[in-house]
Amino acid sequence: MTPETATSTLPADTTRGLAAANCHEDGSAPQAPAGARVVALAGAPNVGKSTLFNALTGARRTVGNWPGTTVEVGRGAWALPGEQVSLVDLPGAYSLDPMSPDEELTRDLLLAADPAARPGAVVVIASAAHLARSLYLVAQVRETTLPVVVVLTMIDVAARRGIEIDTAALERALGCPVVSVDPRRRRGHEDLDRVVLAALDAGPATPRVDPARVRVQPCGCRGCTADAPCSCCPHDLVEPALDGEHTAYELERADERFAWIERAVTAGVTARADVRQTWTDRIDRWVTAPVIGPLIFLAVMWAVFQVTTVVAAPLQDGLDQLVSGPVSAAVSAGLGAIGLGGGLIEGFLVNGLIAGVGMVLTFVPLMGLMFLLIAVLEDSGYMARAAVVTDRLMGRLGLPGRAFLPLVVGFGCNVPAISATRILPNARHRILTSLLVPFTSCSARLTVFVLLATTFFPERAGTVVFAMYLTSILLVVLIGLLLRSTLWRAVGADPLVIDLPPYQRPTARLSLSVMWLRLKGFLRTAGGIIVATVCVVWLLQMIPGGGGGTFGAVPVEDSLYAAVSRFVAPVLAPAGFGDWQAVSALVVGFIAKEAVISSWAQTYALAEPASERQPGALGQHLLATFESSSGGHAGVAVVAFMVFLLAYTPCVATISAQKREIGVRWTALGLVLGLVVAWVLAVLVFQVGRLIW
Amino acid sequence: MTLTGRILVLVSTRSLDQVPAGAALVVHAVDGPPALVRRLAELGIRRSAVVTPMHRTAGGGRVIDVAGSRIALAVSVLRSIHTEPQG
Repeated sequence: MTPETATSTLPADTTRGLAAANCHEDGSAPQAPAGARVVALAGAPNVGKSTLFNALTGARRTVGNWPGTTVEVGRGAWALPGEQVSLVDLPGAYSLDPMSPDEELTRDLLLAADPAARPGAVVVIASAAHLARSLYLVAQVRETTLPVVVVLTMIDVAARRGIEIDTAALERALGCPVVSVDPRRRRGHEDLDRVVLAALDAGPATPRVDPARVRVQPCGCRGCTADAPCSCCPHDLVEPALDGEHTAYELERADERFAWIERAVTAGVTARADVRQTWTDRIDRWVTAPVIGPLIFLAVMWAVFQVTTVVAAPLQDGLDQLVSGPVSAAVSAGLGAIGLGGGLIEGFLVNGLIAGVGMVLTFVPLMGLMFLLIAVLEDSGYMARAAVVTDRLMGRLGLPGRAFLPLVVGFGCNVPAISATRILPNARHRILTSLLVPFTSCSARLTVFVLLATTFFPERAGTVVFAMYLTSILLVVLIGLLLRSTLWRAVGADPLVIDLPPYQRPTARLSLSVMWLRLKGFLRTAGGIIVATVCVVWLLQMIPGGGGGTFGAVPVEDSLYAAVSRFVAPVLAPAGFGDWQAVSALVVGFIAKEAVISSWAQTYALAEPASERQPGALGQHLLATFESSSGGHAGVAVVAFMVFLLAYTPCVATISAQKREIGVRWTALGLVLGLVVAWVLAVLVFQVGRLIW
Repeated sequence: MTLTGRILVLVSTRSLDQVPAGAALVVHAVDGPPALVRRLAELGIRRSAVVTPMHRTAGGGRVIDVAGSRIALAVSVLRSIHTEPQG
């Protein structure tokens, strides 16, 4: 069993097939041995593919009770009796006619041009509660020679709805093995192991449609330049050409598949004819209702952030005090005991390394709680409802309701939010959403807002932080409208079509597993950046900046760090914070917002405050800095500073994610857009604010 | 579909945004871009399918029951699904 799984993004050359599906191979994740047979896991969105994948491989892929959770390919070792195979978890797809990049990836990997790279068998997951819908993909895969095993999930949900399935009859109708499993409770796996092994051993299957009867079309598959039948792809399954004749042929094929599905469902399924109101329906009457629905959505989001910040605060404080107090003191004492105290080594270890690691640790409760609550919402099925109630707002921005999901994720962390844009079928929607995500106020920015609000507006700190979140939402809307009216005038939003999964009680195991997966990802990406940033800042503060001094013996204000910040400072003088000490935090914040407070502590040569809610000496220094840089309008200047911090580049990790998803050109545009918007707004806030405040 | 056929459809059927909640209906035709028609078909909303309109949602859409599944559709999609009473 593998404790980990590797994931891959959309490979540039998917024709290499499943064997090459891992472009971001995690070397530490055990995989099936080289040459192992490959089994692909496919199915419609939200039928439990990733849950089954995790159960079979011991991996911990992100799972959730809403469509579009899997946007990447995952691979792990699956121990079948006597053989270990490579199991590949494909993004959800209703059919092999792709409408989004993740569906395209599924199609390309299943129908890889190189037959040697195709999977040895395909396990198609079908929801027993929505069987007909799940079978279109089965119908298409059964038109190839790929051995298919159909796995029925959600048997309990189907039973509650009065749906009974005769597995043997269904098996005969589909012409392939059918197995019932419960991946959430890990039942039925032995049967599945046995059937998949048999399917692998049996070799190529007989297509359900006689190949001689399938009319061969001129090649229309992506990346293939042949204008006549070629041998690189099954022509019955390629993207239809745009001529009317081909479209009519595709419709004819679709009708044949639906008729086949109907026959199979008639043979294997007994369902209650009446539509009964379920408790999901009763909840949805309120949760998706015209006025109450959006209010419930706002209340849920408010509760998530409130619980996150209130519950995490004492844990953060405790961890911070532990690191900055006893741990730092113990290291200093230990270094002193061996004659290394008071020098560069102690400075690096205590003020660089330990301060950096301490900061990462303080984020663990905050991010952990946020990820846990979002996982609970996802597992419960609420996220799909959230997409419904926000559809109209998103439509105004020229985006489909589903675009709301990455934007909500952005309030936790911008990096996964950029990846989540892959659930959008339209490339322009993905670009637009990726450009808007950086304006969502991630939790790393929250810590700086809390510190500044507590310092400058102690009586109204909560209101100020809430106002920053409202500003963030306003910015997303305004920038969206701006981009839509300039760059994307011709692009309309795809109308809402979304499957509403039944609500389910979130399981602790699943929610904690998702939380841990995301937290680990955060610690791996942000943690490294934060520790590295803190160390680099410490190093820059040790290097003289041209004003005399020697390495390791230079006052902060004469260091290279101060010199760089002073170089940038005049640009921000019109915004009221053209002071090198304020600007230095923005320079560090460009790399990671998580490191802003610690870099300030380093700048002022102070211990980091025990909590952003108790700024102490750092607060006093910040008050003096903003008072001086703003000419006596410290309050307005700090608001301008927070607006700048909200709007400019979130972090280098976000830039990297954007580059991966939307390319260099759009990433550069987003970078410039963020800096320009941040500067203009900050200057506007300060210049107008100081006249009235 | 011919012009006459289209007129007949418009006269004899009602789109899903116009029908009251609760009554089972048979889909007569689905208009719209091919990609949308295909996605709806994959979800079970295609000619001859039985659908039951349920409650309205924020933004003017509504939830539809299709073979026990609940699918939320925007009002523009509802307008493109023409139905007639069952039986």
